[in-house]
Amino acid sequence: MIEQIQSVLTNWDAMLPVLPQLVVSGIAIGMLYALIALSMTILYRATTVVNFGHGDLVMLGAYALFILMPMVTFNIAVESSALGLLASFVPPFLVALILSLFVLFAMGYIIHRVFIWPILKGPHLSLALMAIAIGYAVRGVIRKEYGKEVLQMPRPFPEQEFEVFNWGGIGTYMTLDEMIFCGVVIVMLLVSYIVFSKTRFGQIVQAMFQTQRGSSLVGINVMHYNNLIWGVGCSLGALGGVMLGLALALDPDVGVWTLLRGFAAMTLGGFGSLYGAVIGGLIIGILEKVLGVFISTAFIEITCYLVIILVLLIRPKGLFGQHATLRI
Amino acid sequence: MKLNRSIFWIFPLLVLALPLVLNQYLQYVVNLILVYILVGVGFNIVVGNLGQLAFSNVAFFGIGAYASGILTTQLGMPWWLTVIPAGLCGALAGCAASIPALRGVRLFYLAIMTLAFGELMRWLYIRTPGLTGGSMGLTVPEPAVFGWMLTTEYHKFYVFLFIVVVVVIATSRLLESRIGRAFLAIKNDENAAAAMGIPTGQYFLLAFALSGFVVGIGGSMYAALVGHLSPEDFDLIQVILHFAIIMVGGLGSLIGSILGSILITATPEVIRHFEWLVGSEEWIFGVSIIVVILFLPRGLSSLLAKVNSIFKDRYYRN
Amino acid sequence: MNALQKSLKTAAIAIAIASVSGFAAAAERGITDTSIKIGNIGPFSGKAAMFNPLNYGSVAYMRYVNDMGGVFGRKFDVVLGDTACAQAKGIAAAKKMIYDEKVFMITVNPCSGVAMAIKPTLVKEGMPWSGVSANPKITGSVGSGGTSAPPKYMFHVTPNGYFSGMTMGKFIMTKPNTKKIAIVAHTNDWARGYCDPAIDYIESQGAEVVLDTAMERGSTDATAQVLQIKTKGVDGVLGCLYQPELVVLLKAAHKYKLNTPIIGALGADFGQVVQQVGNAKAVNGVFFQGHLYKDKIGSPALEWGKQILLKYLTKDELPKTGDPTHFYYFGLFNGIGVVEGFRRAGRDLTRDTYIKAIETLSDYDNNISAGRVTITPQQHVGVSDMYFNGLDKDGNEVIFSSWGKALH
Repeated sequence: MIEQIQSVLTNWDAMLPVLPQLVVSGIAIGMLYALIALSMTILYRATTVVNFGHGDLVMLGAYALFILMPMVTFNIAVESSALGLLASFVPPFLVALILSLFVLFAMGYIIHRVFIWPILKGPHLSLALMAIAIGYAVRGVIRKEYGKEVLQMPRPFPEQEFEVFNWGGIGTYMTLDEMIFCGVVIVMLLVSYIVFSKTRFGQIVQAMFQTQRGSSLVGINVMHYNNLIWGVGCSLGALGGVMLGLALALDPDVGVWTLLRGFAAMTLGGFGSLYGAVIGGLIIGILEKVLGVFISTAFIEITCYLVIILVLLIRPKGLFGQHATLRI
Repeated sequence: MKLNRSIFWIFPLLVLALPLVLNQYLQYVVNLILVYILVGVGFNIVVGNLGQLAFSNVAFFGIGAYASGILTTQLGMPWWLTVIPAGLCGALAGCAASIPALRGVRLFYLAIMTLAFGELMRWLYIRTPGLTGGSMGLTVPEPAVFGWMLTTEYHKFYVFLFIVVVVVIATSRLLESRIGRAFLAIKNDENAAAAMGIPTGQYFLLAFALSGFVVGIGGSMYAALVGHLSPEDFDLIQVILHFAIIMVGGLGSLIGSILGSILITATPEVIRHFEWLVGSEEWIFGVSIIVVILFLPRGLSSLLAKVNSIFKDRYYRN
Repeated sequence: MNALQKSLKTAAIAIAIASVSGFAAAAERGITDTSIKIGNIGPFSGKAAMFNPLNYGSVAYMRYVNDMGGVFGRKFDVVLGDTACAQAKGIAAAKKMIYDEKVFMITVNPCSGVAMAIKPTLVKEGMPWSGVSANPKITGSVGSGGTSAPPKYMFHVTPNGYFSGMTMGKFIMTKPNTKKIAIVAHTNDWARGYCDPAIDYIESQGAEVVLDTAMERGSTDATAQVLQIKTKGVDGVLGCLYQPELVVLLKAAHKYKLNTPIIGALGADFGQVVQQVGNAKAVNGVFFQGHLYKDKIGSPALEWGKQILLKYLTKDELPKTGDPTHFYYFGLFNGIGVVEGFRRAGRDLTRDTYIKAIETLSDYDNNISAGRVTITPQQHVGVSDMYFNGLDKDGNEVIFSSWGKALH
């Protein structure tokens, strides 16, 4: 390890030109973490529940698109009249994507209504294990059906890369996927910011975050709003899952990996803060790349764990969060 | 029905005869249950009795297992001499894991942080190949007790049973004492406990260390039972397993930990019995946990307590 | 009267023979006159479930042999066991096979960790084991990655990680002027089982492994790995990676204009990787992968294997889409060797005669693999050689025996 750091220090000049590339790819991957963290934050903001099974629902989103895709393509080919006309404007990928987001919205809604709501009054531990168990069961079903092979996510467009800029003969590249990811996440952040701060829905959610009991006293249907928020959180997570599937492949095990990075982004940004989650995700993405190249690729895996531990030890409320510790 | 608490002595005596009726496969499953009993009992101290959402258990488990493995392979110590050091290593890890809790990190924050701690330990096992064998894993030699090799599962069973009975009784005594009551006070209301003059910080440290010690011993037994440790054994699936044991059994209940470990360890083997279910284990496991939490939120021990009050945990002497 | 006596006598002899043979069969567990019980264990669930087709490849071949009348009238009774690729569960699966199901032998077992954990039990019980797991410590002896004689009852029909890794090293070293190599590997025993022998070979040939980078499972991006490799200026990259991560590495290598050959291990299906990268420029003349078989998968020479797989596996056991992948053929490869052992052991089957029969395999042509199978009492790894897949400039699949040397 020490030798590696020494070699990095001596090769600093040679390594410097790759820094822009690391930042750009770090942002690209960070956007993915940000989206996952954003979906978990939305869930947390309304229900004060941290969904430990969120990673597996993210994974399910990708599989939902994979399963829906052939159906959509088939239907569009068969229906000649109205749908056929529609199909000439709307690519089947987009249709399948929107459908899968709806499916995951329904999943989130049902999961909360059937499994979470009845035990919401119980201890936090039951909630945590319930979420984990739901995730585990989802993973098991997917693995049983699709786990024997590595399936490819359907692609809406071929992959291509662009040189963003050039520094001393070393180019910095970005793929079309990454650009679209960044755009989608920024739009999602803006939309959720507007929804949570400017609309009545956002005010209700804020009230529920403050006190669920109090809000039900003033006539808010807490269960209904909680269901909705779970649906929204899950479908946002599913969007992240689709991105993950496009970047990697369909893999039933990405859930755990995703969950911890989402947690890290949330912790760094501060629990409950929307833009904190996004900025946290970006910082972790960049940090992973920089540590990976300048010290050792072994550090890529533990960057998020180190961030979690250091942030909670040094500044538990994160960058933009409210108080996180209990004062005794 | 009035029963005396001494009936609890019947259970270990009854299981003494198990090797007569079990083949080595079933005996192995029973041994695995014994390992997970200690895991459950240790985990329950922090989660059930102290009421903290700390998932560092899998780190204690791994550290105990690797401590035992490294001491036997690198220093050539017989396995029985490594059991206590493995527990102490676990206790040390417990002290380390209590730092965030002492700094006031609670609830989900603590859960996430301790999860990260466990994953960090797994990374450490991979990155220190000189000690742990790295990702290729560490092959632990056949365990020995006083120069007597534990060659079959039956031999291991008696040694494991002895350890488990001793540790469980000791833990039970501890939890029934002033210390256990302090844990409960902290669980119910930390501020009130502090106001009453209970040094909460010390009890946090103690609970984590105790948990680490018990689970570390479990890890040492796991090393002896499985014989080949690899870092992937101590990943997040293991966390789910430990968590399920205490939740299904019943939080803060010794009997619950025992019941939970029996149920959680035996379920996959029951599924294995039906060959047409091959590959379905994961979702069946997930669904069964969901069902238990929905319909038995206080775990199996609450069911037993309804049958007879003798199965209730007792934290004071009358 | 005479006729009755005669028929009685025949009946008595028949009963005697039947009882004796029945007794003989009872003496060896897992065999009757009409059946041989085989334990087929592997990752039916868990993290490594993508290796599950290995189990089904072997199952398909045994079903085929059953359909052909079995071996000496005995048909295979295959019991499936889930190891989940985790030691504790794997031991339970193996012990159930040995003590509960009382099988004759255990086969497939793709996970090295499980194989290492059950090895002591197998050795103690004298249970034959024919596996496909990578770790050279399982069956390796002097010359195949181990340090001593091979375990008596355990063998690989297929190459183990030692030979697969070494062949990867040999392949890249036959490229002219190869001096510096980089490794990208998962941090698990599978990847190290392939890459460590490759590193040893490369260093023994005077070249240098300048970089050994880690890539975790589930990584969506290989920027850091590729940029590190790029700054070192290497002549070749060995990727001991599973399929999704291998695809990610190939994409990143193309994106950052790495321009070095990348050699994949056996954890991926060549055709699927090419398809999933989806960019001819990223794979043509760049990506090569170890290939265990004598010809391309899907070629006429292996058509018989495909027919067996399609006929004897159910819809659930076959892939959701497309043809059976390389893993199914890998399983067939193992199954053929295991069955050949039963053919050679003859009618009087015991575990000892079976292992003796396996050890007579010499230059055995199984009509599927690149190398021929040779197992001796000193060497329990059947095949030490394999070819490499690659694409030429026009994107046609070519089988190479060494760098730039096409087979056909």
